[in-house]
Amino acid sequence: MMRVSYVAAAAWEGFWRNPVMSLASTFTVSLMLLLFAFFVVSDRGLQAAVGILESKVELAVYLDDNAKPSDILALKARLERDPATSSVLYVTKDEALRRLKEIAARRPDLAVEDVSGNPLQNSLEIKLANAQDSKRISASLRDEIGKGVVGDVIDNPSVVDKLLTITRVLSVGGVAILAMMLFVALFVIVNTIRIAVHARRDEIEIMKLVGATDWFVRWPFIVEGMLVGALGAFVALAAILAVAPAISAALVSFLDILPVSLGSNFIAELITFVFAFALLVGAGGATISVRTHLAR
Amino acid sequence: MITLDDVSKRYPNGTFALRDVDLRIDAGEFVFVVGSSGAGKSTLNRLLIREEMPSSGRVVVDGQDVARMKRSQVPHLRRKVGVVFQDFKLLQTKTVAQNIGFALVVTGHHPDVVREETDRALALVGLTPRRQHFPRELSGGEQQRTAIARALVSRPRILIADEPTGNLDPVTSWEIIKLFVRVNELGTTLLMATHNAEIVNALRRRVIHLDQGAIVRDEREGLYAA
Repeated sequence: MMRVSYVAAAAWEGFWRNPVMSLASTFTVSLMLLLFAFFVVSDRGLQAAVGILESKVELAVYLDDNAKPSDILALKARLERDPATSSVLYVTKDEALRRLKEIAARRPDLAVEDVSGNPLQNSLEIKLANAQDSKRISASLRDEIGKGVVGDVIDNPSVVDKLLTITRVLSVGGVAILAMMLFVALFVIVNTIRIAVHARRDEIEIMKLVGATDWFVRWPFIVEGMLVGALGAFVALAAILAVAPAISAALVSFLDILPVSLGSNFIAELITFVFAFALLVGAGGATISVRTHLAR
Repeated sequence: MITLDDVSKRYPNGTFALRDVDLRIDAGEFVFVVGSSGAGKSTLNRLLIREEMPSSGRVVVDGQDVARMKRSQVPHLRRKVGVVFQDFKLLQTKTVAQNIGFALVVTGHHPDVVREETDRALALVGLTPRRQHFPRELSGGEQQRTAIARALVSRPRILIADEPTGNLDPVTSWEIIKLFVRVNELGTTLLMATHNAEIVNALRRRVIHLDQGAIVRDEREGLYAA
């Protein structure tokens, strides 16, 4: 039988027995968790951005001015049957010019000067269901350039490519930095608990002599490790939540129309994540240092 | 209560702490273990609570084969075998009552049980008035009585004492020995390693003499020296 009150009291006492060390490891854990939270938040933001941009990915097929309407319609129908496309829109050169003027009207840095002629072409705008397929489709369309229908193929997934690259770099770099921080945090916790174990070695010796189980000896230290983790999580989350509105506003303005913000669901999830991670690291570190001491 | 069958304990450096020891101690006995330092007395004690494992042979305590029991069973063995040391091993930051109750607290007993049994053990060793004192405020004899109370608080069937009077003056030593006699009379099997010839000769109990790890003498109403 395990008495919770004894374990809690012993863990609390252990934490304050060496406050400098305990607070130092709490601070280290906080820093690690801040980094962890930063990566979770940026990853979420970028994932959302990629998702939204993916839905906007387009291929534009400029049509030969001399293409027959029946050929154009056949090409459109063929593209629509492809499962990778979500929509195919025929845009006349007049419509394209109208759009250009519209965009120019909204932006002071652009002006459409000479509109006597229309240099634009008729086109097919293809929206893709899946950005990964854009290369395949554009390649197959490029094969048809000069055969009477397709004049040119413009694909603009470069933005998505860049975002995907950023996400990839961020997640690889993030995991690497996080792994280092995790190592540092574990190292500090292991040492904090080792010092706590050392400070109580007489007590542990007597506990074992009078027949306390190994778990009864271990639990106070594991709870102390979890206490360090939980306090670290508390500090990190307090810091995050204090600056959350500012970050949220910055994200919204930076990514412009993207509906990315720190919603309450996401915050709840983040809190759960951070706490679970912190408790795991604390308990893990303590288990490591107690195990080496008890193994005899 | 305690049986050793052909037990040897050999350390990695090749020296034998115990060599082919056969021993049988019945419930309720009071046994002195004598011999010079390094004769194997402490090793014998440590084997009984499985602080060490025999290199060969069988150690049976209260019906359990100590060497073959699972690691998880060791704490239950130790609750049946109380231990008292020459250096008391008290926790300086805890009061007399807390030191005694500690043995029950860390084996998961309810606070009511801890209080009740601590009071009983305090009364048994005559330290009730000292219950709120810290070890450093006590005399050597009082510290040893605290340690004895801690060993007895979980009502063990066997009490092992390793040189319990080694740090005490003769008068105090006698007080402690009288306490052990009383504990033994209340039914606890007692095994005491000692160098105190006066006490062994006065009590005339069973004496087991160890020399270089072997039993060289085992007498019913023995003396310190043959």
